[in-house]
Amino acid sequence: MTAASHPSSYLWLIPFLPFFGFLINGLSGRKLRNTKVVDFFALGSVGVAFLLTLWHFIQLAGLPADGRSLHQTLWTWFDVGGARVLGGLTTYKVAWAYKFDVLSGCMALLVSGAGFLIHLFSTGYMAEERNDGRYYRFMAYLNLFVFSMLNLVLGANILMMFLGWEGVGLCSYLLIGFYFEKEFAAVAGKKAFVTNRIGDFGFMLGFFLIFQVFGTLDYDTLMGSVRGIATLPAITLYGHTASPTWWFNVIGCCLFVGAMGKSAQIPLYVWLPDAMAGPTPVSALIHAATMVTSGLYMITRLNFIYVNAPVALAVVLAFGSLTAFVAATMGLAQYDIKKVLAYSTVSQLGFMFMGMGAGAFSAGMFHVFTHAFFKASLFLGSGAVIAACHHEQDMRNMGGLKKLMPITAMSMILATFAIAGIFPFSGFFSKDEILWKVFEGWYQHGHYTGPTLNLVAWILGMLGAFCTAFYMTRLIAMTFYGNYRGAGDDPYNLTVQSEAHGHDDHAAHGHGGHDAHDAHGAHAHAAVHEDHAHELDQAHNHHTDNPEDHDFVAGHHPHEVSWRMWLPVAILAGLAVVGGFLNYPESLHRILPIVPAELFSKWIEPLLYQTAPVHHGEHVPPAIEYGLMAWATLVWAPAAMGLAWWIYKVDPSWSRAKAFVARFPNLYRWVNAKYYVDEFYEAALIEPIKRFSAQLWSFDTWVVDGMVNGAARVTLLWARLSHWIDEYLVDGTVDLVEYIVQETSQVFRGVQSGRVQHYAFVMILGFLVIAFWKFLV
Amino acid sequence: MFTANTTLMLVATFLPLLGALVLLLVPKDQRRVFEIGSLLVMIASFLLSAIFWFAYDRTSDAVQWAHAWNWIPAIGVKFSVGMDGISLLLWLLTTFIGPIAIACSFSSITERHKEYYIWMLVLQTAMLGVFITQDMFLFYLFWEVMLVPMYFLIAIWGGPQKLYAAIKLFLYTLAGGVLMLVAILAIYFLQHQATGAYDFSLASFQAMAPIIAQQSKTYQILLALAFFIGFAIKVPMFPFHTWLPDAHVQAPTAGSVILAAILLKMGTYGFVRFLLPILPDATKMLLKPFLILSLIGIIYGALVAMIQKDMKKLVAYSSVSHLGICMLGLFALNPYGIKGGMLQMINHGISTSGLFLAVGVVYERRHTRMIADFGGLSKNMPIYATIFMIMTMSSLGLPLLNGFIGEGVVLMGAFQAFPWAAVVATLGIILGAAYLLWMYQRVMFGSITPVNEKMADLNLREVLYFAPLVVVAFWIGMYPKPVMDVMDAPVKKLVEQITPGFHAAQALAAQQAAAAKVGMQGMAAPAHHEESAPAGHEAAPAGHEAPVHETPAPETHGHGGGH
Repeated sequence: MTAASHPSSYLWLIPFLPFFGFLINGLSGRKLRNTKVVDFFALGSVGVAFLLTLWHFIQLAGLPADGRSLHQTLWTWFDVGGARVLGGLTTYKVAWAYKFDVLSGCMALLVSGAGFLIHLFSTGYMAEERNDGRYYRFMAYLNLFVFSMLNLVLGANILMMFLGWEGVGLCSYLLIGFYFEKEFAAVAGKKAFVTNRIGDFGFMLGFFLIFQVFGTLDYDTLMGSVRGIATLPAITLYGHTASPTWWFNVIGCCLFVGAMGKSAQIPLYVWLPDAMAGPTPVSALIHAATMVTSGLYMITRLNFIYVNAPVALAVVLAFGSLTAFVAATMGLAQYDIKKVLAYSTVSQLGFMFMGMGAGAFSAGMFHVFTHAFFKASLFLGSGAVIAACHHEQDMRNMGGLKKLMPITAMSMILATFAIAGIFPFSGFFSKDEILWKVFEGWYQHGHYTGPTLNLVAWILGMLGAFCTAFYMTRLIAMTFYGNYRGAGDDPYNLTVQSEAHGHDDHAAHGHGGHDAHDAHGAHAHAAVHEDHAHELDQAHNHHTDNPEDHDFVAGHHPHEVSWRMWLPVAILAGLAVVGGFLNYPESLHRILPIVPAELFSKWIEPLLYQTAPVHHGEHVPPAIEYGLMAWATLVWAPAAMGLAWWIYKVDPSWSRAKAFVARFPNLYRWVNAKYYVDEFYEAALIEPIKRFSAQLWSFDTWVVDGMVNGAARVTLLWARLSHWIDEYLVDGTVDLVEYIVQETSQVFRGVQSGRVQHYAFVMILGFLVIAFWKFLV
Repeated sequence: MFTANTTLMLVATFLPLLGALVLLLVPKDQRRVFEIGSLLVMIASFLLSAIFWFAYDRTSDAVQWAHAWNWIPAIGVKFSVGMDGISLLLWLLTTFIGPIAIACSFSSITERHKEYYIWMLVLQTAMLGVFITQDMFLFYLFWEVMLVPMYFLIAIWGGPQKLYAAIKLFLYTLAGGVLMLVAILAIYFLQHQATGAYDFSLASFQAMAPIIAQQSKTYQILLALAFFIGFAIKVPMFPFHTWLPDAHVQAPTAGSVILAAILLKMGTYGFVRFLLPILPDATKMLLKPFLILSLIGIIYGALVAMIQKDMKKLVAYSSVSHLGICMLGLFALNPYGIKGGMLQMINHGISTSGLFLAVGVVYERRHTRMIADFGGLSKNMPIYATIFMIMTMSSLGLPLLNGFIGEGVVLMGAFQAFPWAAVVATLGIILGAAYLLWMYQRVMFGSITPVNEKMADLNLREVLYFAPLVVVAFWIGMYPKPVMDVMDAPVKKLVEQITPGFHAAQALAAQQAAAAKVGMQGMAAPAHHEESAPAGHEAAPAGHEAPVHETPAPETHGHGGGH
């Protein structure tokens, strides 16, 4: 057996380089006049981190399969002392440590690679911020995000993951609310953070329980001891005895709540669509490619819990498939281009969870990567479109952009083929693999989760896939085909006064008004502003400093964006086209061996908990597998795409869509309003909590504090009473005695006459009285 | 001269008082002299105290630099001082906050400067005294003396209802103090019965634990309740908390800072120092109600904070919530809980001070603290926005900052002992994010009004007094080990006092080290499981003693690197 992990000295640089970038830009960026310096540190740090990741990845590939792990411990983060856990006393010390293995390596490549491309895109997209002094802030936040995300994936224990987990949450909060003067953005940022906190609640309880059971949070120790614990006859904690499966189910469900928050699953998905208030690169990086996949990463990382927790897997499958379907239907009736993509992301994340729920961790994880490619490309593409259309986000006000922005359009169309699952684009290999695994689970009588659930999930998944292909084609048709409606060329009266306009809006657009074509030649060399342009003339790409205007002028058309923006879109689209071959299915390989089969699955396999190889039910006949594949890619998805094409492209007046809406107004209203989930939460959760808080406050003021003040008042009352008693009773008594003495003295004064004979008489009288009394007694 | 010993400890403690005496001689129109003078005294005191951080022997659980002088021999009162890790941390927190509290007063205090700074210095010595004494009588003395300067600080330099708040604070905590005194005297006389000696020393009180445990249940419970109420008022725990919002709202900024950072810690310190070690059995009898009160504090404080309109009141109620977390940790009675609770005391001192200072900054500029009066301040006050954000994040427990470590460890500790309590407390943490971010959003984000637009960003002095808090917040967040190490031995001792034999359970370290070596290779299906059931959990058990099925072969491989 080879060593399970190898030390590496430069691992820390991967997350820390972006952190240094953040520090430099964050601390000094405000004083830097030249935003190119900001670019240098921001892009440089992430770029070098990517190269380092690549270097480590190559190292990793050179190792034997069961030893593909590099690690580095920086310092003991905290050491709390002893804790009583299952089986005894643990003195676990939490280390600030990194682990680069088959899973975290891939994720780190994705984070730093896509991160770099999106940084590059941002240098173009955020051009207008270069002048108003907050460009540095955006770049610093992005760097901080990359740092946090790399901590999340590279951390060697669950607390390191949690560190990154919360860190990305913070960056998400900061970036969603980047245009903080807009109420909507600020509220959306807070909503994202708080919703994620609800998820964290589950996550924390999950890892507390892991700690109780395992006495450690280090991945290596967990993986090394899980088989022993999973095969215990029973586990007794807190006086409750149950099978390990029972405990693992609880852990798995708790952790999944965390994943629901971060990865936007029903019922905690509501923050993601609102998060589109952030600048579009943020949506691409955080809310499509990387952060939202943290939940998937976490489940794959802790797959050894889930494999031993069938109920938890069933829960994952159920919520995943439900989200995949419901969110996809929400995407059908949105007009905001980013909202369509947002619901699409929620839905695609649901697909990934479906894969995990079916026990196909590598399929789910593979979809993370392919989705990152095509969704990041789509988001960035939409960002380019939005920028070109003067920050217009409503697709009804777009159209015909294919001719005007050919590169962006081509990239997005390719990415659409990928997400729809058309062979041989990447989505086919990942999404259909997931659907296939779910189907297979049903066929094999519920490998993990029971047959009925698998069948239902598969049906939901197929419907979701249909909707996906539909709304994506709709998006393409509305945006890139027909006439450009934004400039008044709108024969069917489709444009609207956009509500979406301005959500992801830049601050004031204070440019002069001149046409791009003329301006370019005249200003290309003279320009001194950093104000970036969306150039048409690609030959002049390196002159990015020319001021251009994007005011709403009738007849003025959008044009292709600069290379800084289309290049990342195109690269990601390219990856979306070919990426699928990294996990070429075994079954296809048998008939068409063009690339090695299941590269990704085999790569990630050493990390997946293997149960003893037991066959459930029967193998699915290959005919069914081929048949389903062909069905999905040749019939199902094309049908959806064709339908959308027929509705939105073939008939440019969209009269068929309008007829449908007229026919089913309520259905449309509900879908368009996203089933009123937000309103429901507001009414059923947030308002009652606020009301309850107000009541508590009254309680605090009137009852709790009332008792204190009451005590004070009672004391005062007592004091008054005492005063009265003092004055009238106590002092009164004294006065009375005095009075009585005075009065009686009047009587006795007479007695004290001063005459001796009087005294002698009284003496004798007294003597007689005593003598008489003595005599009597 | 500057070696850590008893004398230096006393110098650091009484230096502020000395400074106050000197300042008494200065004519009262010399405003600068009072400001700079008291700042220098506080800084000197802090620098001296810092020596003890380095000199502290972290391996020992003994009281260090201990010394006792006979004071009132007839009744066994000694001037007895010394510190262990627990008191050292709070003592250092006090000297650390001191200069910050002075520095933030320069612009906010506009009248009667002489008295103000003298009272601040007196207060500082009284508070420092509480943490170094090792004698119950002396402790009680410092504990009560401290109230006097605090009373004047609020009653003279406070807001519109300052007298009400000051008297409430004074009487309420005095009432608690008297209950505590009754309990102290009861133990004192019990001790005389048992040993024949009259002794107020802390050690002899702690040694009474087994004797108290033999007394009747009622007696023990009454003693514990007397201590509990005394400390709970100071902490303050629900339902004894209502003096706090009033005191905070009325107090000047520095008063709020000291109140939050140090004064409240007296209560929690009292629990750690007296209730837990002296009355462990009685505490365990009353644990459920104590825990429930802590939990109510967490949730209740957070909910009430959420709807406050006054920023200072919001932060005050957040203190109730945070200290509930502290108390939850202490009542978990295990190392995670107690260490986390201790750390949370420090963290609360850092982050809540920061928040009060932040409120003070805008109050000085606008003379209002109402959330509704602000909005969009991020625009014209970027430095302030950053610092305020860091303090907010620290307070709501974001990893990388101090609050997370404290909260996380407390919750882990609570989860080890009472999972239901940890579940409830974790819910409170969601609310923490909600009320803090909501406040931040309403104050800092959104559109800005012309009045607010004129507000200037932080000046150098303000940045300087925030800076140490920010640095410490990050330090504890990223590398809390030194802080944890300081209290390691004393907490271990305390846990053994509460639960004898806690650390004697079977150690899992060797087993875990073996498992760590197996690592990822533990994922592969073992050959002998070939015929077993699906997930392997019905297989014949190997027993928990041997969770590692395969002991790794001796490693002769070189390191990975680039071969």
